[in-house]
Amino acid sequence: MAIMMPASDQAVLARRAEIIAALRAIVPGEGVIDSAAEMRAYESDGLTAYRQPPMVVVLPDTTEQVSLVLKYCAAQGIKVVPRGSGTSLSGGALPLEDGVLLGLGKFKRIREIDFDNRVVVTEPGVTNLAISQAVAHAGFYYAPDPSSQIACSIGGNVAENSGGVHCLKYGMTTNNVLGCEIVLMSGEILRIGGKSAENSGYDLMGVITGSEGLLGVITEITVRILQKPETARALMVGFAQVEAAGECVARIIGAGIIPGGMEMMDKPAIHAAEAFVHAGYPLDVEALLIIELDGPKIEVDELITRVETIANACGSTSCQISTSEAERNLFWAGRKAAFPAVGRISPDYLCMDGTIPRGALPKALARIRELSEKYQLGCANVFHAGDGNLHPLILYDANKPGEIERAEAFGADILRACVEFGGVLTGEHGVGIEKRDLMPDMFSEIDLNQQQRLKCAFDSQGLLNPGKVFPTLHRCAELGRMHVHAGKLAFPDLPRF
Amino acid sequence: MYMPASWRSRICRGSSDATNELLSLVNFDTGSVVDTLKVRDAKDVEEVVRAAIASEQPLEIIGHGSKRSIGHAMATNAVLDVSALSAVTSYEPNELIVTLQAGAPLADVLSLIDAKNQQFAFEPVNTAPLLGTPVSGTIGGMIAAGLAGPRRIRAGGARDHLLGAHAVSGFGDSFKTGGKVVKNVTGYDLCKLLAGSWGTLSVMTEVTLKVMPKPEAERTLLLRGLEDAAANKAMTAALGSPFDVSGAAHLPKSELRAKVEGLGDIAGQGEALTMLRLEGITASAAHRAGSLRELLAPFGTSTLVEDGASAALWAAIRDVVPFAAGGALGAWPVWRIVCPPASGAALGVQLARETGGDLIYDWGGGLIWAALPPKSDAHAPLVRTRANAVGGHATLIRAAEDVRRMVDVFQPQAPGIAALSERVRASFDPKTILNRGRLTRGAAS
Repeated sequence: MAIMMPASDQAVLARRAEIIAALRAIVPGEGVIDSAAEMRAYESDGLTAYRQPPMVVVLPDTTEQVSLVLKYCAAQGIKVVPRGSGTSLSGGALPLEDGVLLGLGKFKRIREIDFDNRVVVTEPGVTNLAISQAVAHAGFYYAPDPSSQIACSIGGNVAENSGGVHCLKYGMTTNNVLGCEIVLMSGEILRIGGKSAENSGYDLMGVITGSEGLLGVITEITVRILQKPETARALMVGFAQVEAAGECVARIIGAGIIPGGMEMMDKPAIHAAEAFVHAGYPLDVEALLIIELDGPKIEVDELITRVETIANACGSTSCQISTSEAERNLFWAGRKAAFPAVGRISPDYLCMDGTIPRGALPKALARIRELSEKYQLGCANVFHAGDGNLHPLILYDANKPGEIERAEAFGADILRACVEFGGVLTGEHGVGIEKRDLMPDMFSEIDLNQQQRLKCAFDSQGLLNPGKVFPTLHRCAELGRMHVHAGKLAFPDLPRF
Repeated sequence: MYMPASWRSRICRGSSDATNELLSLVNFDTGSVVDTLKVRDAKDVEEVVRAAIASEQPLEIIGHGSKRSIGHAMATNAVLDVSALSAVTSYEPNELIVTLQAGAPLADVLSLIDAKNQQFAFEPVNTAPLLGTPVSGTIGGMIAAGLAGPRRIRAGGARDHLLGAHAVSGFGDSFKTGGKVVKNVTGYDLCKLLAGSWGTLSVMTEVTLKVMPKPEAERTLLLRGLEDAAANKAMTAALGSPFDVSGAAHLPKSELRAKVEGLGDIAGQGEALTMLRLEGITASAAHRAGSLRELLAPFGTSTLVEDGASAALWAAIRDVVPFAAGGALGAWPVWRIVCPPASGAALGVQLARETGGDLIYDWGGGLIWAALPPKSDAHAPLVRTRANAVGGHATLIRAAEDVRRMVDVFQPQAPGIAALSERVRASFDPKTILNRGRLTRGAAS
């Protein structure tokens, strides 16, 4: 395991039985899980290369229980890792050996649907898709659609600021949530925002969204819902060069068209997907674009024509336009199955998640090819082309000695390249533990200290989800002192882990 | 008030000539002499803030000063002026981003992106007409105030379009947050906090903003003569339709409202007018206007205005022109009330009846601009009671200084949120150097 977690507190581990008893007094019955066999289900999230059984699992089903658990843990100096559905791809919910794993899975109720104000008030354990399903009868849906939407919880979406194929046009989670009930590590229950378009005071909802479970435990969320577009159609366009596909994306945006989704796949990804789902993808192209237009039929038909014209001008070698829902879904089937499809051609793969400026795409793909040579590992690329979010899938075999380390080094180099090209380390999967140690490649010590001071404003003891996001832990009292100045490394004597 | 000699010496940098550039004395309309520190770059900002920390001297942060009258009086005459940080760092239309120094004039930036047929989709409010200032301010001021126009309901606010920032905290350190790409979850999203923070967290020096293509066409449906409650229902129906409405506003019938610029003959004299905007490619906007007209038939027969006339109408709503400082209600205090949209009319009708004030509804009822008859407390207890009752909040955007001394300009928070917000603020600026007292009454000293 390349990533080191904070050292376990032996004093806490020694008191495990006492702690479990205290937690049982707060959450009765089956809400506290302490057997090794039953805890196994919680030892990992979507980043399965990393596993760690927690000290104990607690599954509260009321906000008051969450509050009492946190208050108890804060008083006792016990670490807490919150967890939704456990689909994080960055290890955000990886347990700690000496920590309580706080699962929100019992918060499964939608509390209110308010069509007049176009909001849904929901508990955090409700899945992303279930929200859309609950309002579909009235023509509404919840726009952000991470590909794990069948399983991922809305609470996890808020923690990770999840995106999805449609966020180019409809925004990420942060653009679609209005308020929450949050429990701080101290046990204090706060309500932020509500059904209004914006909150008074500092935008606390905005900074809680995407905070990866480090600032508080969310127990209720108010999300915006939208009317479903009247219709959607997709184009599937092949290109003989990646550069031409990149140019096509730039020209579509340049023409003022914001598609509902605009996805790119490179040759290895196309071949893997086609072999898996037989979507009719052209196999003789270097890049494939799937471009979806949604809205009123008259608009979609017009924009399809405009996009087709642009694609032709960019030298597309094939262009298919969906004429039915079945065909549109078929175009998407390969893209949506790209990860499992790659799983069929390689024993293991690592999914990366950097974002680059759209214009840097050819450069980035060229760099990935070089790195693929250097590390002697294959790589298939799928790409949210519209917003520059790159998902290289690095192929490796965990059974071959040294391959996982090589794959991780390859991935880290890709993410460093994303930063070098003016982009960022993660577009939608989060930092978690996976990219934690790369944070200094994007942020200075001063930048990270400011972020950690904010963490202190919410959790002064640093007990909530420690070891995630930040490569170095600082004590809040140290961070608050005014001796951090440019050019000097602050706290050089503190241990890095 | 003059800064101590030690203060001056601390902000010197390089040759003595540089000192002269950095310091200038300006006499503002307030009559008091103000030490204005006109900074040239982020390094200057760092040095000024560090000097301020050392001498425990708070700083007022300004760009053009166009929104200085919003908020409480600050306990300082030392002004950090960022207006010279006015460069366009980069503009990449195909990437849909623009990177600007915080002091870049909003009007110039709007012209720049307009030339590429792009816009800030959140329609930043130009507060100049409402506040009676000669200029519309800077990009930094636009973000720090976070005032979004009619398209907020569809495109979000300033906070949704700020992708990244470089800023100097109250520690005197330059830091960056976010990036130059739309899709980014790397680290905490401090941009969200900076937007709408009124300069109390950090001094922004450079920001990256999302820009969006301007719609090819716009159509606005007009319904006349609706009571507020009916108009609220019509707007709710429109916003709950699949027709992608990008503006929903209502001007109630009003004896007080004279003809105003932008509204021209459309609004008539004091007549109730409900407006619903559709934007996009021409065929689509026209088609949806037709569909929406059918949907709203129970509310009356609607008429249509297009493109230029429509744009003028929405600019007048965005900038609250009916309550302009130079207009008939120019001396009245103006509240900005944000509430759940479907509760708008109930709140507004009650408030207008109880105070004799005039209203503008935007955001489908979710934003109410209320001009209320002059009173020493600007009707604050009543406004807040009524807003709280529906889960809304109110900001006193325009009021004389003596009124602002009497009432909380910004909505007082629940104790837990207030305490957390204070800890958040202190995490950026523990000595309260930046805009001390602007947000909280009595906190200036």
